[in-house]
Amino acid sequence: MDPLREYELLQTRRHFFGRSAGGIGAAALASLVNPQAFAAPSTAAEGAGVMGEPHFAPKAKRVVYLFMSGAPSQMDLFDYKPEMDEWFDKDLPDSIRQGQRLTTMTSGQKRFPIAPSKFKFAQHGQSGAWVSELMPYTASIADDLCFVKSVHTEAINHDPAITYIQTGAQRPGRPSMGAWLSYGLGTMNRDLPAFVVLHSTWTGRKSAQALYERLWGTGFLPSRHAGVSLRSQGDPVLFLSNPPGVDRSARRQMLDALAAINERTYEQIGDPEINTRIAQYEMAYRMQSSVPELMDFSDESKETLEMYGPEVSTPGTFSANCLLARRLLERNVRFVQIFIRGWDQHGSLPRDIANQCRDVDQGQAALVRDLKQRGLLEDTLVIWGGEFGRTIYCQGGLTRENYGRDHHPRCFTMWMAGGGIKPGITYGKTDEFSYNIVENPVHIHDLNATILHNLGVDHKRLTYRFQGRDFRLTDVHGNVVHDILT
Amino acid sequence: MRLTAGWSLKVHALAMGVVLLAGGTGKAADPATAPIDFTQDVRPILSNSCFQCHGPDEASREADLRLDTPDGATADLGGHLAVAPGDPAKSELLRRVTAGDPDELMPPPDSDYGRLTPEQVDILRRWIEQGAEYEQHWAFIAPERPELPEVKDSDWPQNEIDHFVLRRMREKGLAPNSEASKETLIRRVTLDLTGLPPTIEEIDAFLADDSPDAYEKVVDRLLQSPRYGEHMTRYWLDAARYGDTHGLHLDNMRSMWPYRDWLIRAFNSNRPFDQMTIEQLAGDLLPEATTDQKVASGFNRCHVTTSEGGSIAEEFYVRYTVDRVETVGTVFMGLTLGCAACHDHKFDPVSQKEFYQLFAYFNSLTDKPMDGNALLPPPVVEVPTPEQSEQRTNLQQQIAAVNSQLKEAIAAIEYTDPHADAESVELEPTEFVWIDDAVPSGAQPQQSGHPWEFVSAPEPVFSGEKATRRTAEEMGQHFFTGANPPLVIGDGDKLFASVYLDPENPPTEIMLQFNDGSWNHRAYWGKNAIDWGQDGKESRLPMGDLPPVGQWVRLEVDAAKVGLKPGMKLNGWAFTQWGGRVYWDRAGIVTRTPQNGQPFESQRLWELAIGEGKDLPKPVQDVLKIAPADRNEKQQETIRTYFLERVYPGTKEQVAPMLAEREQLQADLKALNDAIPKTLVSEEMKEPKTAYVLDRGEYDRKTDPVERQVPSVFPGLPEGVSNDRLGFARWLVDPSHPLMARVTVNRWWQRYFGTGIVKTSEDFGVQGDFPTHPELLDWLATELIRTGWDVKGMQKRIVMSAAYRQDSKVSDEALAIDPENRYLSRGPRFRLEAETIRDAALFVSGLLNEKVGGPSVKPYQPSGIWEAVGYTGSNTANFTQDDGQKLYRRSMYTFWKRTAPPPSMSNFDAPSRESCTVRRARTNTPMQALTLMNDKQFVEASRHFAQRILREGGTTDDDRLVFAFRLATSRMPEADELNVIRQLLQQQRTYFSGKPEAAKALIDSATTQLEPQHLERDHNRDPEVAAWTMLANLLLNLDETINKS
Repeated sequence: MDPLREYELLQTRRHFFGRSAGGIGAAALASLVNPQAFAAPSTAAEGAGVMGEPHFAPKAKRVVYLFMSGAPSQMDLFDYKPEMDEWFDKDLPDSIRQGQRLTTMTSGQKRFPIAPSKFKFAQHGQSGAWVSELMPYTASIADDLCFVKSVHTEAINHDPAITYIQTGAQRPGRPSMGAWLSYGLGTMNRDLPAFVVLHSTWTGRKSAQALYERLWGTGFLPSRHAGVSLRSQGDPVLFLSNPPGVDRSARRQMLDALAAINERTYEQIGDPEINTRIAQYEMAYRMQSSVPELMDFSDESKETLEMYGPEVSTPGTFSANCLLARRLLERNVRFVQIFIRGWDQHGSLPRDIANQCRDVDQGQAALVRDLKQRGLLEDTLVIWGGEFGRTIYCQGGLTRENYGRDHHPRCFTMWMAGGGIKPGITYGKTDEFSYNIVENPVHIHDLNATILHNLGVDHKRLTYRFQGRDFRLTDVHGNVVHDILT
Repeated sequence: MRLTAGWSLKVHALAMGVVLLAGGTGKAADPATAPIDFTQDVRPILSNSCFQCHGPDEASREADLRLDTPDGATADLGGHLAVAPGDPAKSELLRRVTAGDPDELMPPPDSDYGRLTPEQVDILRRWIEQGAEYEQHWAFIAPERPELPEVKDSDWPQNEIDHFVLRRMREKGLAPNSEASKETLIRRVTLDLTGLPPTIEEIDAFLADDSPDAYEKVVDRLLQSPRYGEHMTRYWLDAARYGDTHGLHLDNMRSMWPYRDWLIRAFNSNRPFDQMTIEQLAGDLLPEATTDQKVASGFNRCHVTTSEGGSIAEEFYVRYTVDRVETVGTVFMGLTLGCAACHDHKFDPVSQKEFYQLFAYFNSLTDKPMDGNALLPPPVVEVPTPEQSEQRTNLQQQIAAVNSQLKEAIAAIEYTDPHADAESVELEPTEFVWIDDAVPSGAQPQQSGHPWEFVSAPEPVFSGEKATRRTAEEMGQHFFTGANPPLVIGDGDKLFASVYLDPENPPTEIMLQFNDGSWNHRAYWGKNAIDWGQDGKESRLPMGDLPPVGQWVRLEVDAAKVGLKPGMKLNGWAFTQWGGRVYWDRAGIVTRTPQNGQPFESQRLWELAIGEGKDLPKPVQDVLKIAPADRNEKQQETIRTYFLERVYPGTKEQVAPMLAEREQLQADLKALNDAIPKTLVSEEMKEPKTAYVLDRGEYDRKTDPVERQVPSVFPGLPEGVSNDRLGFARWLVDPSHPLMARVTVNRWWQRYFGTGIVKTSEDFGVQGDFPTHPELLDWLATELIRTGWDVKGMQKRIVMSAAYRQDSKVSDEALAIDPENRYLSRGPRFRLEAETIRDAALFVSGLLNEKVGGPSVKPYQPSGIWEAVGYTGSNTANFTQDDGQKLYRRSMYTFWKRTAPPPSMSNFDAPSRESCTVRRARTNTPMQALTLMNDKQFVEASRHFAQRILREGGTTDDDRLVFAFRLATSRMPEADELNVIRQLLQQQRTYFSGKPEAAKALIDSATTQLEPQHLERDHNRDPEVAAWTMLANLLLNLDETINKS
């Protein structure tokens, strides 16, 4: 809706009172013709974040974070360890394990027999990146990706680990990365939230780890920075649809009357919050048309839909969410995070990981390709990964064809692409067991610092004073990994 | 160290300091000589820019310099001093903060800290000039009761509060607003004290009451309302981090609501707050603790817990204890104690060692770190209602009565063992028939081929009335699993079955299969056509040729040969064949092992048969271990009683009904016990667990053991209290404690005025905000103590003040001077909290169900909220909405799943309750607009509000519009407002009368299972009801409706 129309609407509301507009609600008018962010701050009617300007020139304006909840097995996907073939069913040497702590799911095991990956690996693209046969589509875009094989964390269980990588602390209570970015950088569009979360269906291990709203929550930051879930069932945004029988014109009448009375209240009381509220109702009204338009794929070309694969037509699949993510990014949503669960493959890993890879492979590759085709990849950062890795040793029964893997925090693989990331490289190295890092470790705080850096944010300077302390996403840690930046 | 505690000096300095900090605008008379106040002016600079490396934390201290104590600041640093009192030129500190050389400059240019501003440097310079005096941080000095400021030229004050408020207002160049209108006032105070708006009758009564104490009467009435306790509790739930789920990983349900009920009772009965505090922190340790006091101690159990597979218990034991200490710090002391878990506190005088000394008060509760994903991880207490207690006593008495009847009956039995005199007895194997005319109890019949077929004579039948018959082309079979009680295998047992092969159509093979959990126990006769198991082994044992056709033949299989060992239990049996027609009948076991329900005439034989009696009650088993001759009288009695009650056929008719009655009563008792509410409580270990300083807060890096002790900045434990949780709680509420009362009144103040006197109500430490009204804070704190921690009294005093009663209108001038209304020259105005907005909508629409207390309820919530995040095995993975009256309870009873809280609450800034929150954000978002416009709860409330308007609002449109407007906003509409809503009503009438189907759809979408009068519906009136529904929807969305003004 254009500003002129907004102004006319305001005039209409004035007519409601049947009196002159002179001097009434000037501030309200200003807030309407200068429409603000989705989540307007309570006092400052600005879309900009608290930083105002980025700390330095950003390489990326937007982020899409493909979160593999449950922790994918790095050595079955990307961290190729051919030497392990000869180690089948032999014990993990103590020199490798170094006595470090294990989860109590396997700490009682008498043996830690090596389970080599049963999947075939090949090198792809000019970069020659090793990718397993489980991800053929992803392999085809290897030259666009930067594989980081040396990510590590301290947490060994899902709840603390996923909370850690998303918020910088293992215990609940801190803001999520998307919330920090919304808080720091504000929003870049007027009809949609700055931070959107998408949940995907999955076919890997049925019994899946939980997610928690804190993963896209705001902790102590104002709640308007929370990620908004776009849902594949019911209203895409909670409470978006008018009740049955109430169409847009009826809602408009109600909103005109509402604004008229609220403006009058402002005139009487003078509380600037009232103007913000009037503007927020107008924003809600705009969302009622912008969000359904966003969710409607009918304007996508046949080629595009085919690139994302057949599942793209089923709302809620990972493929459909990848396309939806592109549409969100196109509309300048700052931070999109897609969650898919089902990676927690303690047993029957080969069967479940194959299904799980089928869920994600085509969609994620199409997303990167699609962004690239549209020139969006240049300033959009794509991130792929889970909360930790998995063990080379087997959990439960071991055969060449079937095995399981426990949680492994000491190394795991993530990949990134786009905005400011060197394409076609592999960074960091693990030992032949994919157990310890031997080169260029990247702690999850370093990862998060690097993500913020690409968005023009100095992770040490984006802080929030709470309980007397300046909190930040990276706690008191984090070093930007300059080696992987363009 | 010179410590000043009087406020008058500080307040003076404060006024000056603010001007100076604002950048030397020249308003101060003579800034160069104005006295500098350490607390207000100097410490914030040092704390923000220096303490990180030169503060209390010893581990991270650089260059051996600490600036948080006078001794540290003036220590000899090898020929120079950081701070030379009275001599800026000799003070290294000043030189370094202004140094041109980046290597010398402090804070270092490459640190997280910016260069000091010239104004800050100037403050430091003048502070040194004036003697560089240190003061203890104000919050660590116990409050002293200040004199009331004198009020001149004003009759504004209503009570003591206003003396303090008026003086600060005048210092700021502000003057108080006039008193709010009576309509505004009754709405404000009713919302504040009960969380609901006033009714029209209440408003009218107040308007009509001209007596001078009319307002006070309203306040007194509200404080007596049960809604008051609910509302007070609702705030406390954030602080206590109350939830209905565990909050981590599976996030399964937890039963804590009796604690919530206790809070409501405590607030409503005006339990003194010191008592409430002691009971919540240590109710379990009070002498002769009552159930209520134990329930209160659930406060320490409200933290989130996990049972995630693979978790290390010790790690979570530490996290939970840290949470307890942090929560106590935030809620009762306004301190960020958690900072000291990993290192000495960077700003406040709490060392890491002191943190673990506090930790030691809270680390010895008996709850296990892994909660088992249970509803009631121990320790728990039962909280029966009086009726339940009575019922339980009744049942217990009845059971006792049956027991004694039974005892008498058994005693009266003259039983002599038929083998009593035999020298020895031997047990003969007997035949136990398991399958005859029907399958055994519990068995689920299944088959390959046609269903089970029972036939009677003239078909071949061997025993009883029926046999089973099967005709098959190739493999065919009928079988069952799940039989209960199972067939118990003993030593040397034989399994048998009777078979008749049709001479006209004989099979080529027959097979019996036995299931003890697996089917790998098979025996076959005839050709080896069925290839299950391994031929020649117990999984497919050859038994020879087929039996002769045309006659009943008994087949027998040695249990041992098909791999069935003594003690194994069969739950399934299969009759299998290859081709032909086969009849089966009478099958079972030849055994010495008593099968369930098998009677014995002889106790000696029975004992021989049951051996160790593994399935018998423990006391009976114990006696069986003793040779009969060695048993004492009691032991003989035990086993004889069991035998006569359960085994001996001779008196079965007489005993069985009594046993049945007792079983029924016991089942009733169990059901009752299950239904009695239970709640998590605190319980102390007999021997406290040793606490250690944990290096960097890591659970596995224990260093020195520590004893319980309170931090040295505070007074020690009061005389005569124990050094445990209870003593700690008594220490908190001791009048000498500098923080407890201040923090408590400040949090209440924040509720009424929107912001606390100390804005950072969670942090009174060095980094927290300075109080806007330090003397008022101390007066209120001392007053709270003086009145014996009278909670209602303090609420009343605050709402009776003139400050509270002001109009909230704001002038441009006042807005410019004091945008946040910290100096209270106008009445409070801010958005209502999530729960109050929903409750008010339910209340004005007439839907609110005012039942007090009880388990949480699940009102409307969009589908998929829990499902999107829930662990698949969690009992909160799927949301099942409640029905009927449970949809309309007050929001404080809404089920709180902590990993996915109700969206209509979190959209309005309700916290997740994963950790303690004492100050909610107040945002203003389009999500809130959408919620109020479209959430089913609000649409339904709109519809019921509409019906209420039509029912009760008079007969003309205008009467009804006025009635509706008053219900929503508590005031009369002005003429122009009436025009607006009248116009909307007309528009909506036009809209819906042209679209009756739309009207029907709107009303249908907001239907409920309410009393019949709510559902009476004349479809011809749908458009009218729909139009009023939209009008009601408008009213529920008004800024004024969702604000306190």
